[in-house]
Amino acid sequence: MSEERETRLFMISPRSMLTPDQLVRMVHSFGDKAIVKETCYGCLVEAPRQLVLEILAKVREEYPNEVFSKIRAYPCSDPRRCRAQHGTRPGFAQLEEEWELLARIQVGLDRVDAGARYVPPAEKKRIPVNDFKKICEVH
Amino acid sequence: MKVFIDPPNSLVLFDLVERFGHQPLSTMAAIQERVDNIEVDMPPMNVTLDDVVKGLKYAGVEVPSGIRGRMALWGPLIEEADAAIIMDDCPYSFGCVGCERSNLMVKYLIKRRGIPALHVSYPEDDEQATNFVAQTKEFLEGLE
Repeated sequence: MSEERETRLFMISPRSMLTPDQLVRMVHSFGDKAIVKETCYGCLVEAPRQLVLEILAKVREEYPNEVFSKIRAYPCSDPRRCRAQHGTRPGFAQLEEEWELLARIQVGLDRVDAGARYVPPAEKKRIPVNDFKKICEVH
Repeated sequence: MKVFIDPPNSLVLFDLVERFGHQPLSTMAAIQERVDNIEVDMPPMNVTLDDVVKGLKYAGVEVPSGIRGRMALWGPLIEEADAAIIMDDCPYSFGCVGCERSNLMVKYLIKRRGIPALHVSYPEDDEQATNFVAQTKEFLEGLE
């Protein structure tokens, strides 16, 4: 992973009351060294890795289970990706799908923070032959 | 510890691995390395000769080139990984020759390496999501 440049994608869970505008203002308030770009799902933040991690920690402190993040390979406004410069946008279909999943993950994180533990699903058993016979005879 | 995630570009898995204190190994980092250091037009769509050679380590010349291209990115990550989390039935993780065979190849390579691997299913509701998060957390905390 590069230390010089890290572009990180911050995505807001659909269950959150936070808006991309509020998130961008918050990131801007941490200083002017990072490039911040507002998007429909949250924002993109670009800076040296250490600074990005500091911003991520502060955002997590404020909104622990509402904002999710991952790194992005291309820099902000890269002509090969940016829609403003007619770039392609591969990967957006998956982001959209995962954005819907974030609502459930947010609930999961909240419950785990409250003490929920993993419950293994009940094991599926085979139906006894006699029971199966009865079902067949009824129909 | 370095944890390989499958699907390798998953936001949810990347976030959870990082949240619970480990380093996720993802496609994005591998592509970023190529974007920053190699003069190719549009990685991962364009590859270098080195990528082709790396891909041949995992899949022969007779298999579709898409598999070799993907394995050139993912193969070294799997070799580097100390553990793996695999989400089995993602609705966006499907395909025919290149995509699906690459997914199967990734699972096979993880199994062959013998590293601790967690298989989780895609959560369809809040209950399953809670179970998924709890299971992932317990797995990652147990890696120390």
